[in-house]
Amino acid sequence: MKSDTVSIVISGVGGQGVLTLAEILAKAALSDSHNVRVGEIHGMAQRGGHVVCTVRIGAGARGPIVDPGTANLLVGFEPVETLREAHMIREDGCVLLSSHIQYPVAVSMGKAAYPNNKEIISGIRKFSDRILEFDAMAMAKKAGSSRVLNMIMLGAIIGTGLTPITEEAAIDAVRSTFSKKFESINIKAVKMGRKKVEELNR
Amino acid sequence: MTKPKQLLEDNVGKEMLLLANESIARGVLEAGVRLVALYPGTPSSEIGNNLTFMAPHIPDFYFEFSTNEKVAMEVAGAAAVAGVRSMMVCKGPGLNVAADPFFSLAYVGVRGGMVIVVADDPSMWSSQNENDSRYYALMGNMPLIEPSDPSEAKSMLLQAYEISEKLELPILFRTTTRINHTRSPITFGPIRDRPKKVEFVKEPFRFVPIPSVARIRHSWLLKQIELAMEISESTKLNFTTGSGNLGILTSGVSYNYVVEALSALDINAETLKLGMTHPVPEKMISEFLKRHKQVVIVEELDPFLETHARRIAQLNGIKTNILGKEQGFFPRTLEYSPRIVIEALSKILNRNTSINWKTIDQKAGEISELPPRPPLLCAGCPHRATYYAIRVATRGKAIYPSDIGCYTLSIAPPLETADILFDMGSSITTACGLAEVTDQDVVATIGDSTFFAAGLPGIANAVYNQHRISLVVLDNHTTAMTGHQPHPGTGVTGMQEKVPPLNIAKVCKGLGVEYVKTIDPFASLADLVAAVREMTTWTRENHKPAVLVSIAPCALLEAAERRKTGEFPPPYYVDSELCNSCKRCLNRLSCPAMYLDTETGQAVIDQTMCNYCGTCVAVCPQGAIKQEDA
Repeated sequence: MKSDTVSIVISGVGGQGVLTLAEILAKAALSDSHNVRVGEIHGMAQRGGHVVCTVRIGAGARGPIVDPGTANLLVGFEPVETLREAHMIREDGCVLLSSHIQYPVAVSMGKAAYPNNKEIISGIRKFSDRILEFDAMAMAKKAGSSRVLNMIMLGAIIGTGLTPITEEAAIDAVRSTFSKKFESINIKAVKMGRKKVEELNR
Repeated sequence: MTKPKQLLEDNVGKEMLLLANESIARGVLEAGVRLVALYPGTPSSEIGNNLTFMAPHIPDFYFEFSTNEKVAMEVAGAAAVAGVRSMMVCKGPGLNVAADPFFSLAYVGVRGGMVIVVADDPSMWSSQNENDSRYYALMGNMPLIEPSDPSEAKSMLLQAYEISEKLELPILFRTTTRINHTRSPITFGPIRDRPKKVEFVKEPFRFVPIPSVARIRHSWLLKQIELAMEISESTKLNFTTGSGNLGILTSGVSYNYVVEALSALDINAETLKLGMTHPVPEKMISEFLKRHKQVVIVEELDPFLETHARRIAQLNGIKTNILGKEQGFFPRTLEYSPRIVIEALSKILNRNTSINWKTIDQKAGEISELPPRPPLLCAGCPHRATYYAIRVATRGKAIYPSDIGCYTLSIAPPLETADILFDMGSSITTACGLAEVTDQDVVATIGDSTFFAAGLPGIANAVYNQHRISLVVLDNHTTAMTGHQPHPGTGVTGMQEKVPPLNIAKVCKGLGVEYVKTIDPFASLADLVAAVREMTTWTRENHKPAVLVSIAPCALLEAAERRKTGEFPPPYYVDSELCNSCKRCLNRLSCPAMYLDTETGQAVIDQTMCNYCGTCVAVCPQGAIKQEDA
């Protein structure tokens, strides 16, 4: 679409917090008076399967759908799920890739093979060279809980500088959405994610 | 995550990020709707999920989770007949369930405004078909309004009530998944008061459509549709935007893709965007066709507007070239995207697309096949244990009629216990048909919410006609797939009041089922297998229906409860000393919390995903899966 619109595709596994991340991003964007659309998938598609969400920020965003080759940012919660959506990314787009593997049942049952890291990276490279890889799961556990994986990714998105979302707005959105109980570890995770990506980008 | 409380705020001008479903729930307040009745169905579910928690705080408002869509249509229809504003909500297939009262309601009409929200599901993200509900408006002669985004979902809802009251007809308000589940900024308007109670004024020769009444009402209905046509010609719901030689006729979510496509291709066109699509504004369309040599029709699913445009062109002798699905420029299946519109316009105008998708598709095709990750039963889901037992007890040889809910996911290997499914409740009735024409055992499964929604007539049928079917009711105390709504068996109402729950086993006994047993699927897997075996034997010997109710709460609710209390049971683990890498646990249960460690060849339990059901313990022949000491 037009350059006044930033399109983000978030890909992961049901239960990882993909939908929540999309909503937080959009809330933060709206609080800074940006036009925004979020595309979500609910219901049967959510149960432990592959989940994709879209966030579009800017005046040109009308519908929720991001076409192949038009995403500025692909946020991958899991290696295979990142590669599955790699065709969404623009040539100059950036890919955030969490390296922690969550094996699909078909792989555990020996009915399918999980591609190795080299295959994942070369697959994504067909579409964009800008890949920032890190183990967001290990970072989430370090922050205090595997459940803040999506907050690590939120920080990472801010760290890319590719969206108009500020850390302040993101943290405000986190504060207003979740209970006080998890506030400090959520915020810690956001900051860790941002720092990581800024280091990788250096 | 938007809190239902926030939707209650009397704060005109407040801007919030809302799903269209939340926007509609807010619209209920702003339209002064007195009663809403629905049965949950994705993609419409969040409308009810919000209203149920808003309802106790809204004076003079009633909300219910009806037992099914037909019931909801009748409850809401009667309220509007009495004279208050009402709403019924359903997913596309839900309107099929409610079709009978739908047609009658158009004949008798309403005194208070009534809106029927139907959420169609192009691409079938969570539906068994992608039927195009717009044809109901055409067939039933009910005015049809279609918003294109979450903002219009509220603003057009308010207009729908005005039009409904003007015409004394319910309005069919059709959304699609990409509207329901899109979030965008929404501005709050004023809240409208609701009447406390109204007096039902009798008018049986209007509201009881015996043949002599119905004959009069049908003519009345056609006259009302003529009036509706006048509204359709003048309303701002139907408008044109832009200018150019090319004409585009569109409605619903596709309108956004048209706007984005025109911008991406940088071309000028005049777009006629219809918000009221039955009756279509014939004069407006006729004038629009006359203004353009070429008119492209952009609409998801069936050629509804396209057929109208061709009809109107023929009637008025207009020679405009109408381009759409009939010539193959647009698909009739699955949801649209800006790309689909860009590609069609590029083909029609003989120019290049804004992005070279050919190359992208080619590159995507070069990536070797990735391991699939379809949705599946959650870790700790009680249905997994039950299906495992059903499979073991019948050695995979019975026929397994399934039903609508999470448990349809048992279709996937290794459980493979879903063989036939039509619609809500069909597990029991397809079992009846199969039992009569085969010698195979028939073990049907149905969820608790579906049992109340559509299972009861099937059970009565099985008892009355003495069908030899085994039925397992998977009772997880909730309507899980659509987001955990209560139902008659839960003891909670749509108003969030506690009431005596209906007991499934007692209901079955009351309906005359002689063999009714209940079991906890997590108590003992061996007992569960034995219970299924005993039931199938009994059914075979007695040639009558038997019911086993397998009761354990949804794993997601249990997990949420644990997170709330912060109390977690000791974790399960695989003892690497005992595990002999037989992979039975992985191959028989397909639990998402278990995976194979490729280095050791042993199974591993992912502690972050395990929901502590312990089913795997009983499946391991080595006794290698253990729970840590408390």
